[in-house]
Amino acid sequence: MARGREWIGFAVFAVLLTAFPLVAPESIVDIGVYALIYGIAALGLSLLMGLAGQVNLGQAAFFAIGAYTQGMLVTRYGVALPVAAVAAVAFAMLAALLVGLPLLRLRGHYLALATLGLGIIVTVAATESDYLGATSGIYGIAKPEFGGRRYDSAAEFFWLLAPVMFLAVLFARNVVAGRIGRALGAINDSEVAAECLGADTFRLRLQVFVLSAGYGGLAGVAYVHWIGVVNPNAANFPLSVEFLLMAVLGGLGSVWGAVIGAVAVEFLDEGLRDVIPRLIPHASGEVQLIGFGVALTAVVLFVPGGLYDLWRRAVTRLRRRSATPAAPSGSTVDTTDETPVLSRPDRPAPGTTLLSVEGLVRHFGGVTALDGVSFDVRAGEIFGLIGPNGAGKTTCFNIVSGVLAPSGGSVRLRGTRIDGRKPHVSARARATRTFQNLQIFGSTTVRGNVAVGRHLRGRAGLLRAALVLPARAEERAIARSVDEILALVGIADAADRPAADLSFGRQRLVEIARALALEPDLLLLDEPMAGLSGGERADLARLLRRLRAGGMAIVLVEHDVEAVLALADRVAVLDDGVLIALGRPDEVRHDPAVVAAYLGLDEDDEVDETADDPVVRAAVRELDGG
Amino acid sequence: MAGIRALGAAAAVAALLVATAGCAEKDTGGGTDESGPIAVGAILDITGAGASLGVPERKTLELLTKKLNDAGGINGRKLELTVEDNQSTEDGAAKAMNQMVSKKVDLVIGASRTGTSLAMRAIAETNELPMLSMAANVKVVDGAKWVFKTAQNDSAVLANVVDYAKSKGWKTIGLARDSSAFGEGVAETLNSLGKADGISVVATEKFAPDATEFTAQMVNLRNAKADANLIWGIPPAAALAQKTYKQLGITAPVMQSHGIGNQVFLDTAGPAADGLIAPVGRLVVADQLPANDPQKSVLTTFVNNYKAAYNETPSTFAGHAWDAFQLAVDAFKAVGTDKQKVRDHLEQVKGFVGITGVFTMTPQDHSGLGKEALVLVTVSGSKWQLAPA
Amino acid sequence: MTDLGQLLLAGLSVGGVYALVAMGFAAIYAVSGVLNLTQGEFAALAGLVAISASGNGFPLPLAALLGIVTVVVLALAIQRLIIAPVRRMTTLLSIILTLGVSTALKATMLLIWGPEGRGLDPLPGNDFTAAGVAVRSQYLWILGVSVVVAVAVSWFYERTLAGKALRACAEQPVAARLAGISVARASLVSFGIAGLLGGIAGVLASPVYFSAWDSGLALGLKGFVAATLGGLTSIRGAFMGGLVLGVVESLVAGYIDTGLRDAVAFVVLIVVLVARPDGVLRRQVAARV
Repeated sequence: MARGREWIGFAVFAVLLTAFPLVAPESIVDIGVYALIYGIAALGLSLLMGLAGQVNLGQAAFFAIGAYTQGMLVTRYGVALPVAAVAAVAFAMLAALLVGLPLLRLRGHYLALATLGLGIIVTVAATESDYLGATSGIYGIAKPEFGGRRYDSAAEFFWLLAPVMFLAVLFARNVVAGRIGRALGAINDSEVAAECLGADTFRLRLQVFVLSAGYGGLAGVAYVHWIGVVNPNAANFPLSVEFLLMAVLGGLGSVWGAVIGAVAVEFLDEGLRDVIPRLIPHASGEVQLIGFGVALTAVVLFVPGGLYDLWRRAVTRLRRRSATPAAPSGSTVDTTDETPVLSRPDRPAPGTTLLSVEGLVRHFGGVTALDGVSFDVRAGEIFGLIGPNGAGKTTCFNIVSGVLAPSGGSVRLRGTRIDGRKPHVSARARATRTFQNLQIFGSTTVRGNVAVGRHLRGRAGLLRAALVLPARAEERAIARSVDEILALVGIADAADRPAADLSFGRQRLVEIARALALEPDLLLLDEPMAGLSGGERADLARLLRRLRAGGMAIVLVEHDVEAVLALADRVAVLDDGVLIALGRPDEVRHDPAVVAAYLGLDEDDEVDETADDPVVRAAVRELDGG
Repeated sequence: MAGIRALGAAAAVAALLVATAGCAEKDTGGGTDESGPIAVGAILDITGAGASLGVPERKTLELLTKKLNDAGGINGRKLELTVEDNQSTEDGAAKAMNQMVSKKVDLVIGASRTGTSLAMRAIAETNELPMLSMAANVKVVDGAKWVFKTAQNDSAVLANVVDYAKSKGWKTIGLARDSSAFGEGVAETLNSLGKADGISVVATEKFAPDATEFTAQMVNLRNAKADANLIWGIPPAAALAQKTYKQLGITAPVMQSHGIGNQVFLDTAGPAADGLIAPVGRLVVADQLPANDPQKSVLTTFVNNYKAAYNETPSTFAGHAWDAFQLAVDAFKAVGTDKQKVRDHLEQVKGFVGITGVFTMTPQDHSGLGKEALVLVTVSGSKWQLAPA
Repeated sequence: MTDLGQLLLAGLSVGGVYALVAMGFAAIYAVSGVLNLTQGEFAALAGLVAISASGNGFPLPLAALLGIVTVVVLALAIQRLIIAPVRRMTTLLSIILTLGVSTALKATMLLIWGPEGRGLDPLPGNDFTAAGVAVRSQYLWILGVSVVVAVAVSWFYERTLAGKALRACAEQPVAARLAGISVARASLVSFGIAGLLGGIAGVLASPVYFSAWDSGLALGLKGFVAATLGGLTSIRGAFMGGLVLGVVESLVAGYIDTGLRDAVAFVVLIVVLVARPDGVLRRQVAARV
């Protein structure tokens, strides 16, 4: 259904592009040409900012690289236009790759300012280079000529560029709506959760950065064939600001928004140039920058989602009137089903060691949170990790899941060391986790959340996004798996609701469903019971038993000691960063060291049910299982 | 918050309306037929790096248009001047040129500088539109059929420099030049012109047109110990460079380019300007010319008119604009507005007395000026003086 | 040797201007995590206002004061009208916001003062030559004032209770508020200080380096680079960063290639950011899981 609406949008776009030069006067078509040229660059920037959450204040640098390369190849080396165009775009992307590798490790605002510097470096390099024509640059680039026809009028050039723009938008749309866009959206919501589901944050961001630069370079190619001249001025900062304005005005990450933004800014530019001198005589030239500056500030302050967001809100408001009320939420799970679930043929046999933790040490400044913890977890078992507050359970958990690096010791997943490596490495080895402080992807639905869990089970990359059809099959398969998992966990009824709208307990289930979507062999659950009602806890316990029966290994960190002792096959007890007990639940239950730890007693103190202190008696009773 | 969003949306719509309203007015076309007003477009570097050129050029063109129309126009037809600012950028120039073409102007004057003129040239050639540029670099007209220029070529200016150097017995020249297109090729031209007399450039320093710091360049020139140094730029950079030159106590004689022929330079450089030598158009020393100088009366009239209208002395850049305008008017008076005829007429101009010099165009030379178009001047007491021979 | 001296002096002078602008960046960032890209425009505006005032007959000190006051008022207005209303300000957001403001501000200066650059009359003093190095008195003014200002501002931020309260706001805004510190007022004060610093920079720089509608861009960017060299939250670091940057620029221009001058700042920026990736900013917020 979303697809259907999309096709209408694209059809309308195609019609507009074709009809525009026919109905508009020539000077307006001229402006339209600039809107297309700059719009392509703005589209790339919008993708980068919206999808990867990165700001590039030097998009004009890639624009200039594309323009210069094209200009050089066409005039100095006589290369044919389409071939040169491919080379120019590729070169801009290569430059972005080289620049992005070191720079994309920087925090957001540092990256923004580093890219700003990039534009200036390109300008200086072009000015100093005689090979590139120094300050004169390269001129005499001919208008495009295909099949004996020169495309030199505004209308002709517009028609030539229109299909390019159309395909650019289509491609961008596919990226946004597809696997890569989904993963990046997840990263924006919660980078750590996305990583734990297998999204290689750095690589994905780099891919979008390079793609965005490619768009910039393509715009440069179009520019150089329209103006006929390129010089160091092409990488100037005000142009990067103009691109930024187009992206922001249209709505970041919105493909259509970028198009609208480009058109709006170009016409605003023209209009201001015309109107301002009339209002203020003898004001000439770049005073329209006032308008740009005001527009940028105003949009960020008042309409941060851009024009596209305004449009969307209006549409949603209309649709909400006719929306049906949400169905009452409730579990749809058969409460007696105990059949094994989510088993995998390639999974290691039950009993095989999956996770091996050895001598784990972690310091935080002067505090030692973990001091030589070792244990292993086997396939087909539920492993509990308990201990009083401050014992180091969460730290241990974070290290095992790759979120934190240890100060010493090792963590091995099926023999491969994963300590100190980013979480997506664990995810690739089929180990994932849920979070004590929920890391829901708030910008999407329940279905959308779980779909991110399928990230590693799909393969559609940027290239596939360009061709819609093969990815569609994969998307359909993903949708089917998502539905199955939602039903399994018992939240199928809330599938299309925004994940942020759900109750706390149901959000927990969303996280679990999301983790299961990865088809892990090792599942790490951080306080999964917290916030669940009694019935929900029973359902979850049953689900975990079913998963165990299917051969999965599950590590459980919980405060609810009773629940863990009832569910787990083996239990490890941490206290003050040290492992004080490891064994079957009944062994651990009666271990004096464990009791002492929970009560805060010394090991030598006698503890039994006949103690005077009612608190002590209650505590011992509790550990004994009531 | 919803109210503010609505406000934002309304503002956005209003802005778009402004934008479209602004554009709708663009289609007042000029006439190509032999009646109705003559449409002349002027694309100038009014803001940005070329502002010191574009602003006086605009003033001149507006002044001359008014005078022409007040006097009845050309054969009864008024001249309609449309001035566009290209913001000293190439795409601004190309954009404006495309719009001039669609407005069907009869002739375009512009741009003020080389880079912007180059961007316009291709469009002029393709659309067969006569174009009169005021840029310095000969690249603008080299091999062109429809483009002419009224500013002296660098080679004409540098020929004067070489002659003067020869007369003083200088052999080595240190050069500090503007890094933009204005300064490009100066070292090479100097070397080739001076080869016969053994004059060569021994150091080349560059500065950005908007630079304000020249210590590094001048220190290097000082170390090069050339017989004389040449600063090649336009104010304010050229003036600030001059000041730094004097401040560092460099005793070698200093020359400047023709780009300093305006009051801005004198004001900015102050007493540091005293003693320099520069080849400039006769405009700045019009009052000191001998009575039999062919340009004298044209120059004096222009200076008086400009002063009366704007209360300041015109710069050499204003002079280039005067030349472009009058060449165009001369062509229109002779052959009307047919573009081909105008172009042919321009190409055959002989002995046209202008502000920048006396023009004689040929099919191979669309600049029309030789080294005689310049005189050597010096500055004394912050005033221009003809240089002693 | 005199060349080196000459280049060093020139570098220190322009570095002093960078330092003042850089301190303005740090002053705001240390309090609210906002990166204010209008810092350069503060300097340009102060210069232009002072030039106009001086041209209208005001004596030089008064004209300079007028320029500085105008900019301080503007800085306060920007904080109140544009920064304060934003609910969830991130550094990235502040970059885009202030970029918009700086663009509008630049163009307004263009509208009012036109495209040419102008210079303020120099502060009193004689140029002289020492050890073969030509010393402009204005250089000494710039250096002297920037040192005094640096000492004063860093003393304020690091030694006085008020200054420490300001810095607390960035570290833990909630805790600061609970301790009775008005975060909103702290941010306002920091902008005022930044305006003061920018204004002084503009007035000092104008006689030598000229003020124009677009001179704020390069100055702002280089000031930011200098502030980053110093760690972005340290006033002293920003001061040293400014001087270092100015000297490196001058030496590169003198000994390597004058054309590379403007690229120096950005190459330095990228090298520093890449060599000390997360360490430049200690205030990393790791996700709490």
